[in-house]
Amino acid sequence: MATSKKKELLIGVAMLGTGLGYLLMTTQLPRHAGIDAAFVPSLLSAMLCLLGVLQLLSVRGLATAVAEVEVEAPASSDLKTVVKTLALIVGYIALLNPVGFPIMTAIYLYLQFIVLTPLDHRVNHLVYALIALVTSAITYLLFREAFDLMLPSGLLPF
Amino acid sequence: MLELLQQGFGAVFTVHIMLLMVIGVAVGIVFGAVPGLSATMAVALCLPLTFTMGPQAGLSLLVALFIGATSGGLISAILLKIPGTPSSIATVFDGGPLMEQGHGVKALGIGIVFSFLGSIFSIVALMFIAPQLAKVALRFGPHEYFAIAVFSLTLIATLSAGSMVKGLFAGALGFAVSTVGIAPVEALRRFTFGVAELNGGFAMLTVMVGMFAVAEIIKLAESGRRAHQDKAKSVSLKQIKGFGFSLQEFREQLPNAGRSGLIGLGIGILPGIGAGTSNLVAYIISKKRAKNPETYGKGNIGGIVASETANNAGIGGAMLPLMTLGIPGDTVTAILLGGFLIHGIQPGPLLFISQGPLVYTIFAALIVATVLMLFMEFYGLRLFIKLLDVPKHILLPIILVLCVVGAFGLSSRLFDVWSILLFGLLGYLFVKAGMPAAPFIIGFILGPMAETNLRRGLMLSDGNFGAFLSNPIAAVFLALALVFILWQVVSSLRSKKSLVNEILRT
Repeated sequence: MATSKKKELLIGVAMLGTGLGYLLMTTQLPRHAGIDAAFVPSLLSAMLCLLGVLQLLSVRGLATAVAEVEVEAPASSDLKTVVKTLALIVGYIALLNPVGFPIMTAIYLYLQFIVLTPLDHRVNHLVYALIALVTSAITYLLFREAFDLMLPSGLLPF
Repeated sequence: MLELLQQGFGAVFTVHIMLLMVIGVAVGIVFGAVPGLSATMAVALCLPLTFTMGPQAGLSLLVALFIGATSGGLISAILLKIPGTPSSIATVFDGGPLMEQGHGVKALGIGIVFSFLGSIFSIVALMFIAPQLAKVALRFGPHEYFAIAVFSLTLIATLSAGSMVKGLFAGALGFAVSTVGIAPVEALRRFTFGVAELNGGFAMLTVMVGMFAVAEIIKLAESGRRAHQDKAKSVSLKQIKGFGFSLQEFREQLPNAGRSGLIGLGIGILPGIGAGTSNLVAYIISKKRAKNPETYGKGNIGGIVASETANNAGIGGAMLPLMTLGIPGDTVTAILLGGFLIHGIQPGPLLFISQGPLVYTIFAALIVATVLMLFMEFYGLRLFIKLLDVPKHILLPIILVLCVVGAFGLSSRLFDVWSILLFGLLGYLFVKAGMPAAPFIIGFILGPMAETNLRRGLMLSDGNFGAFLSNPIAAVFLALALVFILWQVVSSLRSKKSLVNEILRT
């Protein structure tokens, strides 16, 4: 129970932080008399902050009524895989233009398959590479030829 | 009306469009059936494919995907006991036990046939109500639109799953994100930090693809490696007459189906909540009204009938505010709204006047897609069951690539691709924080509508807020929004176990 309370507290802080951040940006907007472009953002930032505070207050209430709240067992979280996946996606997008869609897609898919393979599965490099290449080629050609979408070709001469 | 509808069917019955719709329904069923993929994802991912098509072909494809995906959820609900989409949660209650008792085909047949009936019922209702509503809505000005947008926002934020504070926060945050870019009315740049790409704000499609598809991949990365994917059991279709159930069973279920259809339609029309809620409400009411409620949950076909009729009846319901007011009823219709706009069509009351033939083409496409769904889903069942076994760690990376292609295709710039990653991360954080994503999306879409109409309305009344309250329709909607919030606050303070709350928060 203690962890869930901490989590809700953290969420409240994040909510309030977001609200305050938005409020800060809103105050820097140029103002003029009457209702201006900063009117709605001001309302929204007030609301975001208020809701953040409410969330923090509700966490305090949680402490008294812990027994009522049933918390799901925390799912087995695998932070390492999340970070690897994010790194792969960032790399994929960053290199999309210079290296090109066909090559990067094939590389990304191959690596991502490996990263996401469940622990009770064997990594089958040949099959993965094949699927990655075929998917990349089909997507590239399909969108280029049938849907007139010029995906970055990068290093490839066509 | 009949003449227009005839024209609509004429437009749909071309080889090109029929082929697109067959593909659309099939792909939709797959997205509905595979847990983790959703109707929202199916429509969002296929939207870029329609860029080069005409509006008739493009919208027919999107509509076919919508119908297929809404009903596809029942396949995994019955075979795997995992709802493929939130709209078939209640199908699991009785579909699972029926499958275990060896009546899998019967359960599937009933689910598919009543999905069909639910869809047809709601489409017919849509065809009759929409033109009338559009006539009324033609007289709406900025005051009314502002009030309706505010009402819709409160409804979704308070009704979505989880705590009300988080729902409201998600809605407000979506609204806040929509204020990035050039402000309405006075064209001031807001929150762009001098980045030229931000002048137009974030594209709707990048927000949706990020929140619903990219976030799903990050989620899989977190839990997928330890999860065990069940193999789908297959069913034999040999010696099955018709759809696997008797005429008597069908007749007995008609009152139940009628009631559930009305529930599905009504809940579908309300902005923000849709099939995900209505299938549970219909199930609970059907159980209460049944002669033998104790058999519910142990394999009573009535449970499947209630759930599947209700969730499919939500289709017509959700299309109603979209087509007549330009307000999406749920996240799928939010993307459909994007689809309309990309093809240069502004949904709203004027649509029925300026684009009459197109409106009826959409109606015709809805009906044709529903009929296609009925036959393809039942007789193509074995194929769809096979697709359930495609491993997630292969499927989701390929979907990410399609997300990238779709985002890039919006305006051929990498900025949009980075945006989907940003919103994917945000969507993942939402999941972690137990915050619902739907209010965020609706806030993002309705926000500009609310703000623009607020500013316009104030200009009309020389900066006087009173005009919003002296306008009868606007006043009613604003009052309703206020009453709704108060009612929610009071009921959450009073008892946590009221039935309505229980239903709405599941």
